[in-house]
Amino acid sequence: MHRRFLIFAAKRLLFTIPQLFAVSIIVFFLIRLLPGDPSYMLAGPYALPERVAEVRGQLGLDQPLLTQYFSYLGRIFTGDFGISWRTSQPVINDILLRLPATLELVVLAVFFSIVIGIPLGAAVAVNEGGILKRIVFLYGMLAGSLPDFWIGLLLILVFFYFLGWAPAPVGQLDFAVSTPDHITGAYALDALLTGNWQTLRSASAQLVLPVATLVLVYMPLVLKTARSTMEEMLESHFMLQARASGLSRRTQLRYALRNALPPIITVIGIEFWFLLGGAVLVETIFAWGGLGQYAVESVVNSDYAPLQAVVLVTAVFTTLVFLIVDLLYHLLDPRISV
Amino acid sequence: MLRQFLDGDLWRFARARPGMLFGFVVVVANLVLALFGPLVAPYPTEAPAGASLLPPSGQHWFGTDVSGIDVLSRMIASPRIDLTIALVSTAIAFTAGVGLGVISGFFAQGERTGRIFSAAIMRTADIVQAFPMFVFALALVGLSGPSMTNVIVALAFLNIPFFLRITRGTVLQVRSRTFVEAALCAGNTELRAAFAHVMPNAIAPALVHFSTTIGFSILLTAGLSFVGAGVPPPTPELGLMIQVGAQNMITGHWWTALFPGLMLAISVLAFSLFGDHLRVFLDPTNRR
Repeated sequence: MHRRFLIFAAKRLLFTIPQLFAVSIIVFFLIRLLPGDPSYMLAGPYALPERVAEVRGQLGLDQPLLTQYFSYLGRIFTGDFGISWRTSQPVINDILLRLPATLELVVLAVFFSIVIGIPLGAAVAVNEGGILKRIVFLYGMLAGSLPDFWIGLLLILVFFYFLGWAPAPVGQLDFAVSTPDHITGAYALDALLTGNWQTLRSASAQLVLPVATLVLVYMPLVLKTARSTMEEMLESHFMLQARASGLSRRTQLRYALRNALPPIITVIGIEFWFLLGGAVLVETIFAWGGLGQYAVESVVNSDYAPLQAVVLVTAVFTTLVFLIVDLLYHLLDPRISV
Repeated sequence: MLRQFLDGDLWRFARARPGMLFGFVVVVANLVLALFGPLVAPYPTEAPAGASLLPPSGQHWFGTDVSGIDVLSRMIASPRIDLTIALVSTAIAFTAGVGLGVISGFFAQGERTGRIFSAAIMRTADIVQAFPMFVFALALVGLSGPSMTNVIVALAFLNIPFFLRITRGTVLQVRSRTFVEAALCAGNTELRAAFAHVMPNAIAPALVHFSTTIGFSILLTAGLSFVGAGVPPPTPELGLMIQVGAQNMITGHWWTALFPGLMLAISVLAFSLFGDHLRVFLDPTNRR
């Protein structure tokens, strides 16, 4: 690890801290969008007057704004996101329960986008013309306009209703299957770790359609960037040099791909950002029970504390992903890392 | 006017490009439907016109939904809602974004107060964009209450940073040209130089992005309504239609959600294709 990278990493990390504070300020003020007195809304429709008073005390609505903000900050640092009146659970418990389910979807979708998108993009860049190029071009153009929730429904219609290949869209597991022992909270992973094969089979089968939906709709981000940067690399001087030096086709391609990586890494970060939003809709269709569906249920039931928490958690998560992306970029880009 | 248009460069450019032609036709069709859709729909758009879940037939081309409302009629009426939300929110985002972009670009180099102000605008944009867009939109509308106005406000707010960045980028390039210096020397105030001289020369990329943003906003609006955080039912709106149809789709009544989704996808595609080609049209160095 070079010294310059460490300096860059330290700077970038320092920059993340004010960012996170700013995010928390926005989330703090979000709740003030509520019409009227937020304590009535936060306590829920069936709350007793004492509970409303308690919530008002907790929010410190009679305190100066700055005091309110700092006490909010203090609470979120201790993991106190308030109580959901709908599940009567502390919001933090609900979130810890649901976050792994969403991450499982998002991470798998990103993984397959990379595994399919990069080779496909590179292949199209290498082969001038041809039918593959046209198909990929059309698909890339189309995919950005496709409503992810509608694609999910179409997949359910075709693969569950007509063909009967996929299981019913009832969530992360079939009804009859028991949940695996809790390790990470992501069912497929936990089943794999505990060797619970029946659960693993069910969990994986349930994953196929939602992940396929997300990959179909969001992969072109990676695909298009991979194609365009590879094309750029193949036309560059150093590739001409490589060809002139008589390096094998394989080595040439490896050089090109290696140098095309940094922009691709950036776009993978952006894909995470998109997927956290897209997952909300796709989870709703597949009754996934993750963070996205939790947010939607909270909106529909006017349960505001969880909504506020989900916004905070996803924003913090995005900020960290962008941090990792920037660090990786720095490591991978030979022009700045050497 | 039509004559002039048909002789013009834009039409000649579009005619040679099927993508742009398609985009153009669908965009115009959407605009026409937004104006007259509810008037020309063959059946009522919020009341039953037949039995529940009738499959597509000569009478109901796209079938009826679970309440017996004609699907096609609702689709014809939907641009009135979807396009209005998208157009108004994009127009607000455009105005605010371009304005802020000009200011932050123009004052990026220069005296200290200007620089600080410019940096503050950019950091605020960074923070807004740290939130996953759909989750943020969901929260904004969910907290302020689902209504057309609140969807418009939320989408406008979330789209400002995109216009801001695009405009700032071009302003930074234009700012260093001599005519700006000339304008300042001639006694124009900095603000006047920024908005009267720099802005007209830096607005094209934002204008192009306008079309793409409309398509994207239609998609977001439908998504919000789909999860119940958009316009309230039974408004004829594509996302709501897909939501109502979603339950029937799983039981094989595919027409209820298939057609509205198709219309949604085609409209979004058309707006972004139109925007893409417009960029090529406006940038002569790109034309092939």
